[in-house]
Amino acid sequence: MVRFSDGEGSQQDQKFRMNRRKFLKAGAASALTAGMVGAMKALPAEAAEAAANATGVQNGAKSKLHPTADYGGAGVKFVEHNDQWLGTTKIVGNIKNIHEGDTGFSQANRGKYGPDAQKGYYHYHFVMKHPFNGAIASFALSLAPDFMVSGIPSPQKLRIPDPEQMSQHIKDCAYFLRADEVGIGKMPPYAYYSHKAPSQDDLIKDDLSNSVPVTERLPYVIVVMIDQHLETMLASTGYDGISAAQSMRSYHTTGVISVILANYIRNLGYNARAHHFTNYAAVMAPCIMAAGLGELSRTGDCVAHPRLGFRHKVAAVTTDLPLVPDKPIDFGLLDFCRVCGKCADNCPSGAITHDKDMVEYNGYLRWNSNFQKCTEFRVTNKDGSSCGRCMKVCPWDSKEQSWFHTAGTWIGSKGEASSRLLKQIDDMFGYGDEQIEKYKWWLEWPERYGLPTN
Amino acid sequence: MGTILVFLAGILFLAGILFIKPRAKQDLKWKTVVNWVLYVLWYAITGIGISFIYINSSVGHVKATSTAIFLFLGLSLVIAIILARLLGFLGKTRKEINPSIKA
Repeated sequence: MVRFSDGEGSQQDQKFRMNRRKFLKAGAASALTAGMVGAMKALPAEAAEAAANATGVQNGAKSKLHPTADYGGAGVKFVEHNDQWLGTTKIVGNIKNIHEGDTGFSQANRGKYGPDAQKGYYHYHFVMKHPFNGAIASFALSLAPDFMVSGIPSPQKLRIPDPEQMSQHIKDCAYFLRADEVGIGKMPPYAYYSHKAPSQDDLIKDDLSNSVPVTERLPYVIVVMIDQHLETMLASTGYDGISAAQSMRSYHTTGVISVILANYIRNLGYNARAHHFTNYAAVMAPCIMAAGLGELSRTGDCVAHPRLGFRHKVAAVTTDLPLVPDKPIDFGLLDFCRVCGKCADNCPSGAITHDKDMVEYNGYLRWNSNFQKCTEFRVTNKDGSSCGRCMKVCPWDSKEQSWFHTAGTWIGSKGEASSRLLKQIDDMFGYGDEQIEKYKWWLEWPERYGLPTN
Repeated sequence: MGTILVFLAGILFLAGILFIKPRAKQDLKWKTVVNWVLYVLWYAITGIGISFIYINSSVGHVKATSTAIFLFLGLSLVIAIILARLLGFLGKTRKEINPSIKA
């Protein structure tokens, strides 16, 4: 007996088989066409580029070498430049330009923090006492002379593209020179020092009479940022022999990049001055915020980047080269720092405040950390060379790149409740305050870590 | 390597579906849903745990690795036992093979 349904089923089967065959043919034809198009390079370059860059965040002019900004998973909002805020830092009054001689290390050199701090700082003893750290710092000092950082621009202005393309090009120059992050900002006028400090020999006599006024006011600042090296930080206590070398690693590399960039811009016929570890005419923290590379953290002066935290150092170039500035960023760091306080819990000098709220300082709001205590500890540290314990323990700084840390930083950037959760998870898994011995590659000379005897 | 692992994870996920499918369907619909939800949850927690433990141990985060072993694999074990019980792999009385063999 032939059942009707059998015949219907076989017809359906045949129909299905035909459909599948058609589907396979269509698939093969599409693949072949796509392959031929690819082989012939028939797609216009612009279309391919648009497809490749369809996703991802960018701030300001797009670099060709780093077309999307890497914020390590953090939810980042862009903030407009204005007079009341620098990124997420609230400006509540008139910010005065400060004298370089009044910064922490200069105060130590002037004897304001006592004789031990003065001895510890004099001629960078606190860095030079470790031979490796001293070797890097000595190189960085070779970038210090004024002719390295500034000069007269070429009398003939070379032909350059529009500001958008020029900004892209300048970013690519910095990435080519091995910067980890680059940003361009509107130069805040208050970021300039009022005066350059005099020589170390004058400072030690507390004589500021030979200070040089800083008169430069250029409209843009290019900030280059270099990582202080994750594995080294994971192996370090944060205040052992390698601590200053981590800073010097980033100081000397950013210094080199900034000097070359400034030279290049002057060769194009525009004014440019490099600012780096051994020759600043400006404070770097506001420059970093203006260039969209971070927010001011609980430490009071360290600016954290969404991916690197404040495990970085920067140098800058101020210039009048026509550029398109990036926007300052907000990734929820203030909410995070308000509930975290891990840096304050772990600071060996007790310099970082546990306060919940910020205080007014020189016309802006920041956490009330004690820079005297911080400087004193760094220049007199008998367990090593300088200190970066806050950097080591900060949940934003202490991680390798992985899917769960990306998820973690996304959580941490979403307000106080989620920040509290991230802090608890960070503590539960023991991140930040561990020393991973397998990465400890450097040598220690503890007998050299005391203060100089003469 | 990553591509192979993702492929392997997908194959294992499908193999798990095929394995529990004959037992997942229950007389009440919500019980069937519970079985599948538990399976997906168990798979996700186990996968996340293995990845988390592997990455942390290779970097050298000792506390993170040991905490993750207890946390993720512990949760995975608990869910696996519950799921096995619901699917009838555990806790059912054994059927008598030969009822005639009685004292």
